[in-house]
Amino acid sequence: MKNAQVNPFNSNLDFRQKALEIFEFQREFNPVYQRFCDALVVKEVHAEDEIPLLPIQAFKDATVLTDEHSQFNIQHSIFFQSSGTSGMTRSRHYVVDPEIYRQSIIRGMQHFYDLDEYVILAYTPGYNSNPHSSLVWMLNALIDRDSTGVSQYLELGKPLDQRLINQITDSGRKVMLFGAAFGLLDLIEISDVTLDQDSIIMETGGMKTFRREMTKQELHTQLATGFGLPESHIHSEYGMTELLSQAYSRGSLWFDPVPWMKVTIRNPKNPMEEMPVGGEGLIGVIDLANLYSCSFILTGDKGIQNDKGQFQVLGRWNPVNLRGCNFLIDSD
Amino acid sequence: MNIKTHIQKVAQAARSWLQPNNAELKEAIDRTVKEGLFSFEDIKFQIRTLKQQIDHGQVEEWADRANINEQNNAIGQKVLCLHAGNLPLVGFQDALGTILSGADYYGKLSTKDPYLLESFLISVQKSGIDSVVQYSTELYSFETLEADKVLFAGSEQSVEPVKQSLKELKVVNNKTEYVIRTAKFSLAYISSDDAETITDLVEAIFRYGGQGCRSVAVVVSPIGLNELKCHFQDYIESFWLKNPQHRKPEPALEYQFAYNKAIGRNQAWMNHFLLQESEDFPELDFTLNWVKGDEEKLKELRFKFGSAVQAVYTSGERIDGLKTEFLSQAQTPPLWWEPDGIPVI
Repeated sequence: MKNAQVNPFNSNLDFRQKALEIFEFQREFNPVYQRFCDALVVKEVHAEDEIPLLPIQAFKDATVLTDEHSQFNIQHSIFFQSSGTSGMTRSRHYVVDPEIYRQSIIRGMQHFYDLDEYVILAYTPGYNSNPHSSLVWMLNALIDRDSTGVSQYLELGKPLDQRLINQITDSGRKVMLFGAAFGLLDLIEISDVTLDQDSIIMETGGMKTFRREMTKQELHTQLATGFGLPESHIHSEYGMTELLSQAYSRGSLWFDPVPWMKVTIRNPKNPMEEMPVGGEGLIGVIDLANLYSCSFILTGDKGIQNDKGQFQVLGRWNPVNLRGCNFLIDSD
Repeated sequence: MNIKTHIQKVAQAARSWLQPNNAELKEAIDRTVKEGLFSFEDIKFQIRTLKQQIDHGQVEEWADRANINEQNNAIGQKVLCLHAGNLPLVGFQDALGTILSGADYYGKLSTKDPYLLESFLISVQKSGIDSVVQYSTELYSFETLEADKVLFAGSEQSVEPVKQSLKELKVVNNKTEYVIRTAKFSLAYISSDDAETITDLVEAIFRYGGQGCRSVAVVVSPIGLNELKCHFQDYIESFWLKNPQHRKPEPALEYQFAYNKAIGRNQAWMNHFLLQESEDFPELDFTLNWVKGDEEKLKELRFKFGSAVQAVYTSGERIDGLKTEFLSQAQTPPLWWEPDGIPVI
């Protein structure tokens, strides 16, 4: 296996330097990304915004891995796989070095929260049945980190236990409850507990059940009301199978990426081009933790960004002006 | 005026409109070309097609087929057509159908095709029919219309914003009926690579830059793209020599080409068009998805793409369980062809 010489978490190097080094490494040793760059005739690159972003679909259509021809890598790597119905092509993300993912999770959380202050509770219906869920791997890493053993998965279909909440509060720590959006709403329906006011609800997106339709804002309002917390304590995590780093929103709809991750909004008509601040486009991610797959990803999500580099996720990108007859008041 | 006279006058107006000495049509074509809205070749093709159909009596035949008579007509109804502008005269069929039915026609013309349809409507206005023929490129011109029916083509995303704008301007009321077209592209099944089939296929794909819902965006064939590629390219180049592609693709198409290279997908780059082996939904403009497969694969894709599919073409073969049309008529359908399978009248 080819080892990258750069540590994505090294704070002595700036983001640009690390991104350029990883770009050169992946262009040389990741055959899928190499062919992509060659076809775009990418030559010398001097800034991270000149680096082409590989469409995320590649994780469904190919093996995105440095030195992919080494069967050793594939056979000995863990992989994450997106959930999906039968017959649906699913993304597969080989992770050659799981320690990088573990560090990305812990360092990422530590960047925004003092993890020692929190007990992690996880309510993840739908995910537990996927043995290759990157979210479950992440939660395992966070739960395993807690040496007191109080952090845990909550039993599915069972209400939150007030005694557990009291035990956490009495120990001087705070609750951080992870869950997929609608799983948390289900938990509210069956529970009757009072959470301490400094608890945090960490909504992980992923609408695993499709019986409700609502905006993110409505969801957060319902979660806040349901758990009896201020809306500022309803946080979100933006992550996916194809990324080993996450971004977090803390009480608003704006996400902050971890320091080794950079988000830009790309013009769907020309993904090499960034949209102006406030303009809607495709969310592009540079995730330096994706060291042995591809760090330069064009997602299928629609988003906007503000001048602080924070971004909002506005749903899936749908080409509105698809071929065929189309009457559009705005553009007409 | 009785309905029979009305139909005759409308048919005559259509014929007059297409006379070579019609100054309004000539000026409309000149302006359209001059402003770069469509190519002269595409306009000429569309007008020649309509002229042949109208000269063959298709206006009258359409009225017959729709069984328009004194008892069965739309006289007194207010019909608003929100015309798209992706092809030259794409709104002609809705406008003619509405007027032919006896309804009062209100047309919101597209700013992407404002002149050609207007020249036809001027001809109808001069014909002296009783029903209203009113048009504008501005939606607010129809404020407080309270139309009985609205026809428009749109994506699922565009439907609600359009309805909202219509409500705000009181163009519609609670009783207004909507006819919304959602078809985006057509499929073709090709079992032979003979010259006639390939010529028809090239016309069906590349006419109007592939922008119409009758344009083929997905081909299913037992012949793989690689086997046919070189042969096919000759026909495409020959077509483009006579009909240069007017609109050019965005850089996203080159991105798609690079992506195909990355994942090792078979493809052919044609400068302004990308042919690729893919079973995906054809999202990008100026792409043709080629699927190597049999009739069962065709049926599977027809089902998968659902209401986005306008038509399934073959060179004449019947396919059990699928309604098919002739590939040779993809871009020259009769006036009464049914968008989304729904008759205009």
